[in-house]
Amino acid sequence: MDFQSCVNINKEWDIVGARQIGRDFARKIGFGTVDQARIATAISELARNIYLYAGTGKICFETIEEIDRKGLVILAVDDGPGIAEISKVMEDGYSTSGGLGAGLPGVKRLMDEFDIISEQEKGTEIKAVKWVR
Amino acid sequence: MNLDINVSDKDSTAVVALAGEIDAFTAPQLKEQLLPLTKESGKVVEVNLENVNYMDSTGLGVFVSALKSTKENNSELKLVQLQDRVMRLFEITGLTDIINIDSTVRGGS
Amino acid sequence: MSTLNMDLSNYRDLLKQYIRTQDETALYQAEQFSKLSMQQNISPEEIINVHIQALQELYPELPEGIKSSMNFLLEAMISYGLAYQEFQSLREQQLALKSEISVAASMQQTLLTTVKPEVEGLDIGAISIPANQMNGDYHHFVQNDDNKLGIAIADVIGKGIPAALAMSMIKYSMDSIPENRMDPSNILESLNRVVERNVDPSMFITMFYGLYDPSNEKFYYSSAGHEPGFYYNAAEDKFEEIEARGVVLGVTRDTEYRQYERKVNAGDMIIMLTDGVTECRQGDRFIEPEEVLDVIKSYMHLPAQKLVEQVYKHFERLQDFHLRDDFTLIILRKEV
Repeated sequence: MDFQSCVNINKEWDIVGARQIGRDFARKIGFGTVDQARIATAISELARNIYLYAGTGKICFETIEEIDRKGLVILAVDDGPGIAEISKVMEDGYSTSGGLGAGLPGVKRLMDEFDIISEQEKGTEIKAVKWVR
Repeated sequence: MNLDINVSDKDSTAVVALAGEIDAFTAPQLKEQLLPLTKESGKVVEVNLENVNYMDSTGLGVFVSALKSTKENNSELKLVQLQDRVMRLFEITGLTDIINIDSTVRGGS
Repeated sequence: MSTLNMDLSNYRDLLKQYIRTQDETALYQAEQFSKLSMQQNISPEEIINVHIQALQELYPELPEGIKSSMNFLLEAMISYGLAYQEFQSLREQQLALKSEISVAASMQQTLLTTVKPEVEGLDIGAISIPANQMNGDYHHFVQNDDNKLGIAIADVIGKGIPAALAMSMIKYSMDSIPENRMDPSNILESLNRVVERNVDPSMFITMFYGLYDPSNEKFYYSSAGHEPGFYYNAAEDKFEEIEARGVVLGVTRDTEYRQYERKVNAGDMIIMLTDGVTECRQGDRFIEPEEVLDVIKSYMHLPAQKLVEQVYKHFERLQDFHLRDDFTLIILRKEV
């Protein structure tokens, strides 16, 4: 773990801030243009989820370095209502905010690793990792 | 084909005016609007079918579940101004014996 | 990585060629490239990225504004790429579902298979064609030890899987009714109790049950709100509607069904059907019941099985070979 930075999400505008910081991280780590754009889109989805369903929360970024690879970790944390049926939310075609490709399945596709821990009435923590190729 | 559903709900009577076709595609919308009305105790729900020119068995299903709901919730269901073709469906299925249908005034042309 | 690079040099060459010649061949190859990219699940933003790189190689002095605009375009395409990937995965799921349904449909076929019995003095024809994969119509022949022939014809409200599930329930309930209780009214009364207890309130089933007794040549029948069939009186050469009143199965708990009977004379026909026959549509127009009878009449000289098949073919063609509803037609004819 090298460096960590968090952005609070309270209003829709904060989504842009989170994207900006995430993109800066991505560029520094060495991601190309396409992956930068994918990471920014994943951040948008995660931040919008917090804004829409939890109200407030935060998005944190970490660089990780292993012997043979480098990557970016995005953590989305909120103490909102939690997700009752995670498998449902992860289903293609389920998206409540409407539109093909949106929502958490989209985040999973954009990133290399994806994990959700959620407890009802307590909150949700989503961790997504992308490696530099 | 579409179904227009117009509900005017005042005091103890709700009048549901329908226009169009009731089939597998439109029946869910009708069910969604009709069923909550029948859940109010003492409510008289009058469905006007004057402008319904086609109904299939899915539509009948909606009225059957509405009827069952009126029995559970002590409300009332009444169908008025049915066109001949729609009326025939209620007659064949024997539902005219158990649903309050006013057939004195027929709808349609 | 290597395939993408290969694609990049390929794309760059194509682009170069096109910019120089404005040649249709290059455009055609671009089309091939896009198809190939889709097959390899390459998303639109990657293609734009390849385009940006190719541009930079071709024009090292590319204005900063153009470069930024290309990055802007790349960003704008991300969601399309995601939507395309989701679409692909939904398509795979749909294929899986389809094959699951066809397995279920063939199970239903096996379950609902009924053998058209041989009854002395009766010519029997039966056809049942589902509009979709699963059949919401049901018909069944039962031949008792005392040679009586029972015929059930039923229609579940709605189509598809829910209808098929309800049908299976009916089939099992029918099998469990003791043989000495096979009177039409009894059968409908006990099925009504089963349906009333076990299905969703908005679901119901219509059924006509007939029993032919060869010993006295009488036909006994009851109807639970089923589409009325027709009786052909050979002596008078006339069709009449078979009138039988009774409410559909599953609506009220202790319904009693009235049983009717009639003597069947030589050459007479009993026609049982579902509303898929009478509710045929020609374009926007519904056919009239008389038209069904006219069609039956025109094929009446044929054996009963050929007769029902020809009637089906007629209405299949009338509806442009696309059935809107399950179609079941059974005809019994008392041989002369």
